[in-house]
Amino acid sequence: MTDLRMPPANSDLATTWAFLEEGVDHILTKLHTGVSYSKYMSLYTVAYNYCTSSRMHGQPDQQAGSGGRTGANLMGSDLYNNLIKYFVEHLKALRVNLDPLTDEALLRYYAQEWDRYTTGANYINRLFTYLNRHWVKREKDEGRKGVYLVYTLALVQWKINFFSYIQSKNEKLAGAILKLIERQRNGESVDQGLVKKVVDSFVSLGLDEQDSNKASLEVYREHLEGPFIAATEKYYKQESEAFLAENSVSEYLKKAEERLREEEDRVERFLNTNTRKLLITRCEHVLIREHAEIMQEEFQKLLDYDKDEDLQRMYSLLARIPEGLEPLRKKFEEHVKQAGLNAVSKLTAYGSAIDTLDSKAYVDALLEVHKKNQETVNRSFKGEAGFVASLDKACREFVNRNAATGTSSTKSPELLAKHADALLRKTNKLSEEGDLEEALNQVMILFKYIEDKDVFQNFYSTKLSKRLIHGVSASDEAESSMISKLKEACGFEYTNKLQRMFTDVSLSKDLTNQFKERMEQTHDASELDVAFSIMVLGTNFWPLSAPTHEYIIPREIQPTYDRFQRYYQAKHSGRKLTWLWNYSKNELRTNYLNQKYMLMTSSYQMAVLVLYNDHDTLSFEEIITATAISKEILSQVLGLLTKAKILLSDDNEQFDVNPNFKSKKIRVNLNQPIKAEVKAESADVLKTVDEDRKYVIQATIVRIMKARKTMKNQPLIQEVISQISQRFTPKIPDIKKAIDTLLEKEYIERVEGTKDTFAYVA
Amino acid sequence: MVILATSDNEQFNVDKEVAERSVLIKNMLEGENPIALAVAFVYMKLNGSFIRHEDVGESDQSIPLPNITSPVLKKVLEYCEHHRGEPLPSGDTDNADDVRKRTTDISEWDQKFITVDQEMLFEIILAANYLDIKPLLDVGCKTVANMIKGKTPEEIRKLFNIVNDFTPEEEAQIKKENEWAEDR
Repeated sequence: MTDLRMPPANSDLATTWAFLEEGVDHILTKLHTGVSYSKYMSLYTVAYNYCTSSRMHGQPDQQAGSGGRTGANLMGSDLYNNLIKYFVEHLKALRVNLDPLTDEALLRYYAQEWDRYTTGANYINRLFTYLNRHWVKREKDEGRKGVYLVYTLALVQWKINFFSYIQSKNEKLAGAILKLIERQRNGESVDQGLVKKVVDSFVSLGLDEQDSNKASLEVYREHLEGPFIAATEKYYKQESEAFLAENSVSEYLKKAEERLREEEDRVERFLNTNTRKLLITRCEHVLIREHAEIMQEEFQKLLDYDKDEDLQRMYSLLARIPEGLEPLRKKFEEHVKQAGLNAVSKLTAYGSAIDTLDSKAYVDALLEVHKKNQETVNRSFKGEAGFVASLDKACREFVNRNAATGTSSTKSPELLAKHADALLRKTNKLSEEGDLEEALNQVMILFKYIEDKDVFQNFYSTKLSKRLIHGVSASDEAESSMISKLKEACGFEYTNKLQRMFTDVSLSKDLTNQFKERMEQTHDASELDVAFSIMVLGTNFWPLSAPTHEYIIPREIQPTYDRFQRYYQAKHSGRKLTWLWNYSKNELRTNYLNQKYMLMTSSYQMAVLVLYNDHDTLSFEEIITATAISKEILSQVLGLLTKAKILLSDDNEQFDVNPNFKSKKIRVNLNQPIKAEVKAESADVLKTVDEDRKYVIQATIVRIMKARKTMKNQPLIQEVISQISQRFTPKIPDIKKAIDTLLEKEYIERVEGTKDTFAYVA
Repeated sequence: MVILATSDNEQFNVDKEVAERSVLIKNMLEGENPIALAVAFVYMKLNGSFIRHEDVGESDQSIPLPNITSPVLKKVLEYCEHHRGEPLPSGDTDNADDVRKRTTDISEWDQKFITVDQEMLFEIILAANYLDIKPLLDVGCKTVANMIKGKTPEEIRKLFNIVNDFTPEEEAQIKKENEWAEDR
């Protein structure tokens, strides 16, 4: 350590400053040789002594403009002004080396000097703590501008005398940074720490006049950020155009993704975080927006060839710009729709007529298209809501309208209900419980898209009634699982009837048992030679119709019939039992053959066969007379019996019992569905649907009118459509018809003096 | 431990924590703060050699306090010892200033501590100002303020041994200017 001779307190300015200047200079230029405690303390003490010395009578502190000031003057302005002078000289000396330097060399010099200077200034600031605390504080408190804490003063001087000097030469400093960044973009490795240091100095130089603790980005923005953004835009505009001219869009997607990542990284590494948003927005504009059309055109190709990765990339790039995804969503919707339509066309093209279209093949084809594209949405488009909506819209379209449905809106729900029926039957081969459950879930996927949900409901309940009556349901568990799925999708009302059907079946089992017990108590065993079981089903819940023709009850079962009729009337007086012979079935045992066979028959077949207990041969007319079955059905019944060789006939006039009947099976099933019934079924269902819809529309109108009291025609129709569209799409003429019907029935009336306003009639 | 040396060449071994109640000493010793580290960094870069321990951090060297005598430092250290571990006032924001100005009461210990002769009282105030120990400076100044409170200028002159160098005209002028501050 050099000179430690400390001037005594009350030394004059010249002596004081000479000592301080040597110390300040030492710290700024030779800090590496260290500052001893005594040096530090003596510098502090000298500055302190000068500031506390009382010179009020000697040399009043004129420099600081003590004009209207009252109270004691503070010493300090001399030291402050000398510091300024010192900093200016020091910085001007630094410029000497500057002129030949450019680019990286310039940055190195600048950064090195910056480090040294700011470190030293920090020390000096502490030595002059007393000046800061009293003289500077007082000046600032009194509102004097341009007076700073010593450290800030050092920065201000740096900015004026060094920074601005370099920048005044063609923005040489910022230019050097930009060049280095460009070199990095071109793939060279550059000293990032160096760039960061210089950039940080831009930020530090943004001094807030009002508050020295607050950094302002003014200098950084003006000198660096603006030129940087402009250079970036220019660079990527050129690069992206050149790249696309020589490479595929897929390659470009990768490139753009990489570039954006690099820029985010760059902000992180050495720019101010406030630049991020602006930089990235501009990059997105140049790299994505400017080429959005080319990307969007490529989209179809990527879909066609299942280029998952590219799709993913395109999605995430276009997601970054406003409105970037909308064209993709539209194209995707069209793509899915076409895929669905093509899948169905293929099915119908392979021969099978539309009427005999296999429901499983149809459902599977639709599901496959859905599955594939849902996977695309999840994998490539991150399950984004807009694409989900496109998928749903497209599926709704092709599920309801395709080559198989033609213009009929009921075909898809019918096929889907048929498929569900096939799944839930005993004959279904899906052994594992889980498989069946999964298959039902798949049905629900399509069900969601079905527009005419009421058509599905009717077909489903018809099929369900068959399964229950004939006892061919695969499992109660699967049945109730399916119903709860439907309930979840459409509400309690939708599945109410289906649930009631199950209740009826289980009540009927109990009823059969109770009846049997009762008969055993009241009758002799010899009277009860016919085994009997019954299903009593609520008319409103079951889609069943009574036979339209007469049926003479064979005397063999007449006693049983009478007993049950009495038993039931006694139990529930006032209820009307309608016997559905057309759904009943019977088992007959043969006694006239060597081998005893069990014949499984319909009630009609039974009625015919029991006649042969008394006859060996009968004519068609005789049978009609004895059974009252209609000609049309009877000929089919007889057709089946002759085909099975139970009866023999040469001319379909005379029917003989076959005494040599033989069968490989002991149980012979003769109970085949009758053709007329099959055909009628679909038509029946659709008729029921139409009927139901009329009531649904009317009920909805009444409900709306009851709530609103009066309503105009157009809004009423809109409201009806919106409330019903969950179940089916009502046709406007049907709604108008319903309104007319309600006017007639005086549920509603026209408001007088208006043409199209209705009022609710309470 | 740090060694403090007074102007009359007495040395005091003091816990670093206690010595650092003085912002002056704290600033100088600050070995772990980024600024000192930056110093070390620059030094290594410029010279290509390592910094020697005693150049920056703690050392056996004593810290000279040329403006303070040993009786005064002893007294000041007593204060610092008692208040060790308390949070240092954070900077000199206006808000903190207000609180300091408003609170005229002095804690019991401080009251007892500051009950010294007038000479020592002023020495303590000067030392606190020099060493930058704000709370101690406050205690000293408040004590002086309490001594002045309620006294006439004559009494004050007598108390502090001040010779009246105003002319009667000047005195009248000052009285008039300060009328607003009169209690009654």
